Formats: sequence, C-alpha cells, structure tokens
Amino acid sequence: MVREKYLQQLALLKESVLSLGEISEKILHDSMDAVIALDVELARETLELEPKVERLEEQIEVTINDLLALQQPLAGDLRLVVSALKITADLKRIVGLSINIAKISLKIEGEHLKPLIDTRIMGDIAAEMLANSLKAFETQDPDLAKGTAARDDDVDKLFYVVWVELIEMMAKDPRVVSKATHLLFLIRCLERIADHCCNVCESVVYLSTAERVKLN
Amino acid sequence: MTEAIQNVAKTQIEVKDLNLWYGEKQALMNIDIQIPKNSVTALIGPSGCGKSTFIRCLNRMNDLIKNCRVEGKVSIEGRDIYGAGVDVVDLRKHVGMVFQKPNPFPMSIYDNIAYGPRIHGVNKKAIEGVVEHALRSAALWDEISDRIQSPALSLSGGQQQRLCIARTMAVKPEIILFDEPCSALDPISTAKIEDLIMALKKDYTIVIVTHNMQQAARISDYTGFFLMGELIEFGNTRQIFENPDKKSTEDYITGRFG
Repeated sequence: MVREKYLQQLALLKESVLSLGEISEKILHDSMDAVIALDVELARETLELEPKVERLEEQIEVTINDLLALQQPLAGDLRLVVSALKITADLKRIVGLSINIAKISLKIEGEHLKPLIDTRIMGDIAAEMLANSLKAFETQDPDLAKGTAARDDDVDKLFYVVWVELIEMMAKDPRVVSKATHLLFLIRCLERIADHCCNVCESVVYLSTAERVKLN
Repeated sequence: MTEAIQNVAKTQIEVKDLNLWYGEKQALMNIDIQIPKNSVTALIGPSGCGKSTFIRCLNRMNDLIKNCRVEGKVSIEGRDIYGAGVDVVDLRKHVGMVFQKPNPFPMSIYDNIAYGPRIHGVNKKAIEGVVEHALRSAALWDEISDRIQSPALSLSGGQQQRLCIARTMAVKPEIILFDEPCSALDPISTAKIEDLIMALKKDYTIVIVTHNMQQAARISDYTGFFLMGELIEFGNTRQIFENPDKKSTEDYITGRFG
C-alpha cells in the first residue's frame, strides 16, 4: 500500500472523532441520569470528564493540521477532514450543553416540581440521535444520517409541550419560578443538543455524497 | 460530463474515437474528448498512461516516431488535422508546444524568439515588436530587457522555460500544449509559470500534462484522468478533485496507487 503514513493519519482522525463521540454519549447519558434523579455524586463525576474531551479535541485539531499541511488530502479524504473538523465542533457543543445539564442537578434543592416524563423522553431521543449520527459517520451512511435528523421534529414538539406546561405552572404559582427556570434551561439544552446532532448528520451526508444539505 | 462542459464553452479541440499504436502495443484507446476554447485543461495520470502521447497527437508530433499508427479523428476548429492536405508545419504553428526541460536554441535571447517569425517570413522591423511583445507576455521582459543579446543559455532554468513559452507565442498559435513544463523548476519559477498559464488562457487554449496534482488543481479549468491508455474521466477540475465520479480517479488523486 502506498502512502501508508497518510492512511494511518486518516484512520487515526476517524478513530479520534469516534472516541470523542463515545465520551460525548456517556456525558449526555450520565448528565440526564444525574438531573432526573438529582444525583449530585454522578453529576460531579460527569463534570470531571470534561478535561478528557479537551485533550481529544486538541489531538483531533493537531491531526487535521498535520494532514492539511503535510499530506494535502483530496476528494473523499478532503471531505473526511472537513467533516471531522465540523463534527468535532458540534460534539464539543453537545458536551458543553450536557455539562450544563449536569450542573442543573447541583442547583435544584429538594425534589423536582413534577415528574420529568417528557423531559426524559426528550433526553432519550437526543441520545438516540447522537448515537445514530455517530454510527452514520462511522459507516458513512447518508440515509441513516437523514433518518436520524428527522427525529429532531419530535424533540421540538416535546420542547414546546414542556415549555407551555412550565410557563403555566409559573403563572399560577410564582414560588415555583426558580425550579421551573432550571427545567426550562434543561429542555432548552436538550433541544440544542438535538440541533447539533442534525449538524453532524449534515456533515455525514456531505462526507458520503459531497452533497450539501440542510437537515434542520 | 463532456456534454455539460460543452454547454458553457465553445469546443476548440474535438477528439473522436482516437486510437494509437506504437508497433503492436496500443497506447491510446477510444479517446473521446472535447476541449473548450480559452481554457486550461490539465491531463493527469500515472507514468505510461498515455497523457503525453495524447497531447502529441494534437500537433502530430507522433508522426516523427517510427511505427506509430494513429486512427480516429482530431479536429481543431472543426478541421481534421489528420486529413489529406494538412501542412504539418503550419499545424504546429497553430498548435505550439512547451516541453519538460527548457530547450532554448544555443543563440541569443532575441534570436530565440525571432527564429520562428523569421522562418515564417515576418519582416525585420516587425520582428522587434514581436520579440518584445512575446517576452512581455511571458512575464520575462522586465528581468532581461537589458541583456536581450546575451546567450539564452545564460538564463536560469525558470527564465529559460519562460523564454521557450515566449518563443512559442512569437508565432501566434491558438493552442499551446505544455508537457510537464515545471517538473525541472523550483517552486518560485513554478509559481511564475503557473501564473503565466492562467493569464495566457485569455488568448490561448491551453492543454497541460502534469504529474503535480496540486498544480492541476490550482491552474486548470478542466481535468482529464488517463489510465492505461484510456481517458477514465474528464470534467470540471473542482468536481474531479472534490468528488470524482470514478473510483480509480479518486484512488489516483488521493495517492492510493500510482
């Protein structure tokens, strides 16, 4: 095989993005568990994962710089490099938003205002979207990417339902404003995470087909 | 793909079903291509793929090779250049060529450029203007205008190559063929030749063979990929380098074989 080092670097790039994806999934998952159960211990453990994300992100950036400066990738390889850069930025935002969710569990005292049923469903859909968008990246599957992005509508609908419910609760009883505001922030984070998953899916379609699409 | 290109630009060189043999060995197979006027077309492919053989068909340089047999049609501005009654010397006046290694004649800079117009009967007075114009067009005038009677071989490699381009332009061709024009040059000289090629397409149709993929990507409007005597893919340069149709094109430009 010619250009062995180059092919190794490309493989390393893909692996690093998938590792970043894996840890993003864990952070989202644990943050949701922490906030639903108000598990302070789990929330703190989750926050400790952030430096690992930063190291991975830095490694991806170095690999991309080296590839562009030293190897001049073209065609499908160039699309991999461009989409890896974009996907990394989206995953980093997903991690940031998940960390915000974990921090909410440290702020709410006592119990939740109400059982977080729809919020849990939103979190599950967002987690599923993240898992599938990463799978679509790994297998370069544009159909899976498009199907995954379509789930964003469900997240948006639930966001609206919970949002209205929380606003009504605050209108009826101003004492709940503090707790309800935290929950509004939580659903907003989940809605944004789903949007970033759609961005990942757009990058996957571009990577696989060179087609630039808008999926959200 | 060729059809799409044709819609936006006028075809100057049309090749239909071109086959070429060196003795028993077939070097080009069923080549069909339409090269648009006032554009830069790059031909890429591994050594021995037929790209140099192909451009040498465009001004019948292969006629000089023993046992070389050409079949098919090559038309320039609608005229079959392999047809009866074609004056090959006149053809090469219209289709100039610049080679891999600069090959100035062992005479002065001035005489190198004046050589072509002289044998084509341009008068002495007019030749002076032709020489200056050619040297200016080749972006060489400012560097050598004070030593135009010096031997051409005293110039640097990059200057010699631009002199050869000026010499080609002095006989006012419509098409200039470049066969690896920068492979013997340093990066600065290469950049000058590349700038020159991009500027020249305003007045000429340019076909360039290159092994330098980045060079093809930088300077050409259209790119053709040759492999084992076949034209595998021909299209807009951007499309070829961002999203080629054929897997073998992608494998070649990304260095997976070659």
